[in-house]
Parts: sequence; C-alpha cells; structure tokens
Amino acid sequence: MQVEKSILQLFPTQSRPFWMKTAEHQGKIQEIRLRVFQPISIQICGRETFLNQDGNFTENVMEAARVTSGELENLVNHICRYSLYAYEEELRQGYITVEGGHRVGIAGQAVQQECGTVRTVKNISFINIRIAHEIKGAADEVIKKMYKNGRLQNTLIISPPGCGKTTLLRDLIRQVSDGNSYGKGMSVGVIDERSELAGCVQGVPQLDVGMRTDVMDACPKKYGMMMLLRSMSPGVIAIDELGNEEEFECLKSAASCGCRILATVHGENLYSVERRFGMEKKFWGSLFDWCLVLKKEPLTGRIIVAEEDMENV
Amino acid sequence: MFRGVGSALILAGCLGLGFLSREKMNGRIRALQQMMDILELFESEVRYGKTVLPECCGRIGNRIRGGFGEALVRVAEKYRENAGESFEVIFREEVGRQLEEMPLKPEDIRLFLQSISSTGFSEGQMQLRTMEQSRERLGKTKEKLERENSEKGRIVVGLGAMSGLLLILILW
Repeated sequence: MQVEKSILQLFPTQSRPFWMKTAEHQGKIQEIRLRVFQPISIQICGRETFLNQDGNFTENVMEAARVTSGELENLVNHICRYSLYAYEEELRQGYITVEGGHRVGIAGQAVQQECGTVRTVKNISFINIRIAHEIKGAADEVIKKMYKNGRLQNTLIISPPGCGKTTLLRDLIRQVSDGNSYGKGMSVGVIDERSELAGCVQGVPQLDVGMRTDVMDACPKKYGMMMLLRSMSPGVIAIDELGNEEEFECLKSAASCGCRILATVHGENLYSVERRFGMEKKFWGSLFDWCLVLKKEPLTGRIIVAEEDMENV
Repeated sequence: MFRGVGSALILAGCLGLGFLSREKMNGRIRALQQMMDILELFESEVRYGKTVLPECCGRIGNRIRGGFGEALVRVAEKYRENAGESFEVIFREEVGRQLEEMPLKPEDIRLFLQSISSTGFSEGQMQLRTMEQSRERLGKTKEKLERENSEKGRIVVGLGAMSGLLLILILW
C-alpha cells in the first residue's frame, strides 16, 4: 500500500479519486503523460492506453479524459510543495524527482537569460511522470561476472534509453554495497546528478542503494566525484549517464586513486560510444575492465545483455 | 490617615488604568513587530536554504515561542500528513485563526497571509521580493502607529492621573 500511495501523493486532493484506479496498477505503469487539452496517456506494460472520465483504462481515445492548463498548474504547484522557487534548478533542467524516486519531466515555455541559457520554464503544459521501478535482483545475472579473483572489475554499461541501465546500475550498487556471494560489501560513492539512481528527496534515498552507500545528490558529476573521493574515501564510485570528456577525465583520476568504477553511458555499442566521445580505444581499455551492452529485442521488447571484454581493446 | 491612604490608592488605580490603556494601544505594534520578525525568518529560509514553504513553517514554528509558533508547527504537521490539501488553504486556516486572536486590523492579517501563501513564483528572488514588500508595508504601518501612539500614550496616562486627582477632590 505504501508504494501504491506514493503515486497518489503526486496529485492534489481533488483529483485523487480520479487517479485511484491508476494507482492500483502502479507496479505495471511506466509513464503517465499529461498534455494540456490532450488525452491522458498511460504507458502500461509497454503499450499506450488512456484514462476515461472515471479514471478507468480505455483503448478508445475518443472517451479519454483531458487535462486543462489549470489542472496542470495545480499539479506542478502540488509536486513542488507550493514552493516553485525551491525547485528553480530542477525546473531549469526540466525534471523534478519526487518521493518514491519517481521523476516528473516538464515542458512548456522556456524563459531565456541574456547569455542564451534557460532561466526557467513557465506555462508548463506537458508533464511526463516516469514511475520508478526498483527491481531487486536485476543484476543477479551479471554480478558473478563482475568479480575477477575476488576483485570488482571496472564496469561500463552501454545502453540506449529505456533498456534499464539505471535499474541495472542501481541493483549493482545495492549488491556491491551490501555484499554478495562473490565479494564482501564495499563502501560505494554514488554521484546522482539527476536523482535517478537513489531518488533522493531532501537528501534521503527513496530507493535501496545499499547500506554502505553514500550519495552525493543533485551534484555535477565532475565536482561530486572529487568531493566524495576527498570526504568519503569510497571503494567504488558509481555514476550514471556519463556525458562529456571532463567526466571521463575525473573518472580516470578516481580510478588512479584505487577506486573501482561502475558507470553507464548512452549508446548502441562500444563503437558508437567511442565515436560519440572521440576517444581512442586505448582510453577505454585503460579505464574499464569490461563493458555490458544492453539491447532491446525488436519484436519481444526483451532486454538482452551482451558483454565486451576490454582486455583485447 | 485613612483618607490619605484612600487618596493614594485612587490615584494609583487611575494611573494604572492609564498605563493599561497605553499598553493596549501598543499591542498592535508588538503584534506587527512579531509578524515582521516571522517574515524575516521566512526570508532567511528561502534565501539561504531554498526551503519549501511547509518546511519553513515547521522550522520557524519550532524556533519561536507562543501561539504563533504552535500555529506554524500545526501548518507543517497538517501538510506533512499529505492529504493532498493545498498549502495555502492550510496556512490561511491555521495561521489566520491565530492572527485573529491578536490585536490586529483585518488589513494587517490579509497582508501577512498573502505574503506567505503567495505561491507559484518559479524564481526565489520573486518569492523573496513578495515577502520583503509585505514586511516593508508592515514596517511603515508600525512606524506610523508608534508616532501616533507616543502622543496618545502620554495623553492617556495624563488623563488617568487627572481623573484620579478629580476623584480625590470630589471624595475628599
């Protein structure tokens, strides 16, 4: 019931009866999309469905309920706990992490600063609620291969969006932190720039990332890595969605300090990642011991895990 | 001898009444000052901690004493229960009730409630400005009252003493 409750918490009192049915199926829901004056769309078990006026699922788009701009405004206010100013940075980034680790993506009218960067987003008219699914045991298949002679290997997870790299990394962190059949528990430092891994709300992880895990929440990766290294002396550094060369360089210096590394990056395979970042193959081999590539089977939607050993790279 | 003691008591009683009336007049000034102090605490929470408003209420409520502090703590607790009720509704209900018990005018109450429960500012500076403006307006009202009351206070105490003397003369 606790988990069921958490999705209802996103909505103000007056709209809770409408979302009751959706909350009952929270475990199967991936996304709730709200677009101003458009049908409410729910991504459930990989397919799209709509909600009718009573809040029941329907396949018929003509019956679908629609949201008004006022309702969206109320919802954003409620999610931000009636303090939009406190979420200034999150609004600028385009998402807010809420209790339960769910992520609320927002889009609307961007207000630009003189230098051309986005100052804030106003008239929010599109909301995408991504329901967090914590799958304990998601890393069971790969964890045994992550240890070589009892030592955790530096691992890179490559995956296109939506294949579960964050879910896999979160479970890896948990298992490495708590300890498992292949290795003792280690202190893990997580730099969670987008609050996706631990889903921290006011600094408290909402998702299980293990008992020996320290989380640096909402902190740019390049700073977070150095801060954690200096202050928490982690045995393992975990980082989600590496995005630029600077972060790789910081990761390299962390590795040279003796830290083990768990990281993810967007991509189809190692070759696509190499091309994206324009780094030599030698670099990857020097930083990571092996990499996991996640792929979605086109017909079944099943996730396949492939391995690439870095020793030969 | 008894006459003298009685006269002294009458004079003291009338003077006391005068002082009491002056203190009553200053009650609104003290209440305004308390509201300004609370607004300043809210501003600090928003400026330095980017704390959300319901949490501000809890933190400030725990720091200040009396009915006002208790009302703020109640706002935070009621919001934390997360029945999905709007912060503005809870704040107006709980703090409004407390403000009505204080010697304040409706416009003071309206200004204070509005300054905190105004939400929807996506920038901290705008939220702060709203609070600052309300505090400045409360400050101006307080200054005006202080000026007026210092004169009035003297008159009220003087009148108290005079009425005491008059009563003594009549009764002598």
